[in-house]
Amino acid sequence: MRGLLQLFAAYGNFLLFGFLELLALILVVSFNQRQGAIWDNSLGIATAGLDQSADWLGEQWALRDEMIKLQGENIRLMEQLDNAKYSNTVRQDTFRRDSTEQLFTYIPANVISNSTIGTANYLRLDKGSNHGVRPNMGVISSDGIVGVVRVVTPHFSQVMSLLHRETRIKAALSRSGYFGTLTWNGKNARLMQLEAIPKHAVVAEGDTVVTSGYSQLFPQGLPVGTVKSFDFSGGGNFYNIQVMLRNDLNKLRYVYVIENEMWKEHKELDEAVNE
Amino acid sequence: MNNTVIWNIIRFFVLLALQGLFLKRISDGWVTGSLYINIFLYPLFILLLPLQTPRTGVLLLSFLMGIGVDLFYDSLGVHAAALTATGYARALFLSLYEPREGYKLNAKPTPGDLGMNWFLKYSASLMGLHLLVYFSVDAFSPIYILGILLRTFFTFVSSMAAVLIFVFIFMPKRNSPGRF
Repeated sequence: MRGLLQLFAAYGNFLLFGFLELLALILVVSFNQRQGAIWDNSLGIATAGLDQSADWLGEQWALRDEMIKLQGENIRLMEQLDNAKYSNTVRQDTFRRDSTEQLFTYIPANVISNSTIGTANYLRLDKGSNHGVRPNMGVISSDGIVGVVRVVTPHFSQVMSLLHRETRIKAALSRSGYFGTLTWNGKNARLMQLEAIPKHAVVAEGDTVVTSGYSQLFPQGLPVGTVKSFDFSGGGNFYNIQVMLRNDLNKLRYVYVIENEMWKEHKELDEAVNE
Repeated sequence: MNNTVIWNIIRFFVLLALQGLFLKRISDGWVTGSLYINIFLYPLFILLLPLQTPRTGVLLLSFLMGIGVDLFYDSLGVHAAALTATGYARALFLSLYEPREGYKLNAKPTPGDLGMNWFLKYSASLMGLHLLVYFSVDAFSPIYILGILLRTFFTFVSSMAAVLIFVFIFMPKRNSPGRF
């Protein structure tokens, strides 16, 4: 109470001034037609803008929920594709076992940072080891492949983008089946280079380039891009193929991290070979 | 009730009546035909209040005077808003223009007591502020800024002239007890 009195002693005149001005302005807009009309109009505009902002916010929240639902649907569909299955089909003389096991599962994630400018680009995802992301998992978007997970923390993961000078991803020409290695020369964010396609392969502009499935990172047959141009300028026995990427890494928002359910077996094999 | 209070009360009503009954008609073209001259003389009441008047009193009197003028002008609140701002600013300008030796005891804010130079600065500042606030509240929208500034300027010239005439007529003598 004493504080309040002191406040009033110090700022009483200012408070009285504010009060009288407020009173006067209320009188102005209540008893003067012109000013009142301007006031009502401005108030209408202000509240309409506020309404709009509130609506927009609500829509964003609704869209977010919708997005998460759709990501879930996509995963269910992608996991039912043949290339996400491990086939147990074995054909021996009279013995035939026909069954499949789930080979690839998907973890939806959102891109929270991304770059395509330098020659060593990384993305960051909002999912990490808490959500099952591990290093060396492939990352794709609905349009094509994106990169490979390098480092994970409990909540985030760092993904080496396709647009990295050390990218080596096995890719195949879907028409002829020849496979080579996708690399990036650091120049154009939409163009990658497919190396090691032998000279005797038939290549045409517009051929589809897909993942080969040899790397255990990506399911087989995911579209990567199309052949834009090719030549033998290196003078060797291999084509230089320019591949137009199907997805634009400049505008990436939603991606899926690919989990290979049988990665432990591959690791065992790798270790056995290396010993 | 001493002399000063009575004179101020009389000045209140005289200025109110002058503004509401006479100057308003001039601004409507009553005397001059098609020429409309806006003269705002009533802020002089606030300007001439004694220096020792408590700020709270200045604020309340400003509001009261404003409402009074508004009743004549049929613009309830507009003059009150402007004059309340002027009343609040009065103390600020008084301290801003305070002479180096301070205000003399019982000095009145008139050219007779504090000098013509001082009174011009003081009255022009407050009158300019008052007119700017008045026309802003009257227009009630920043899109009329050019009109606000033009009206403020022309009204300022005519109003200052009226203020000086009023002061010269009724307060000619130094340390006079104050005719109005």
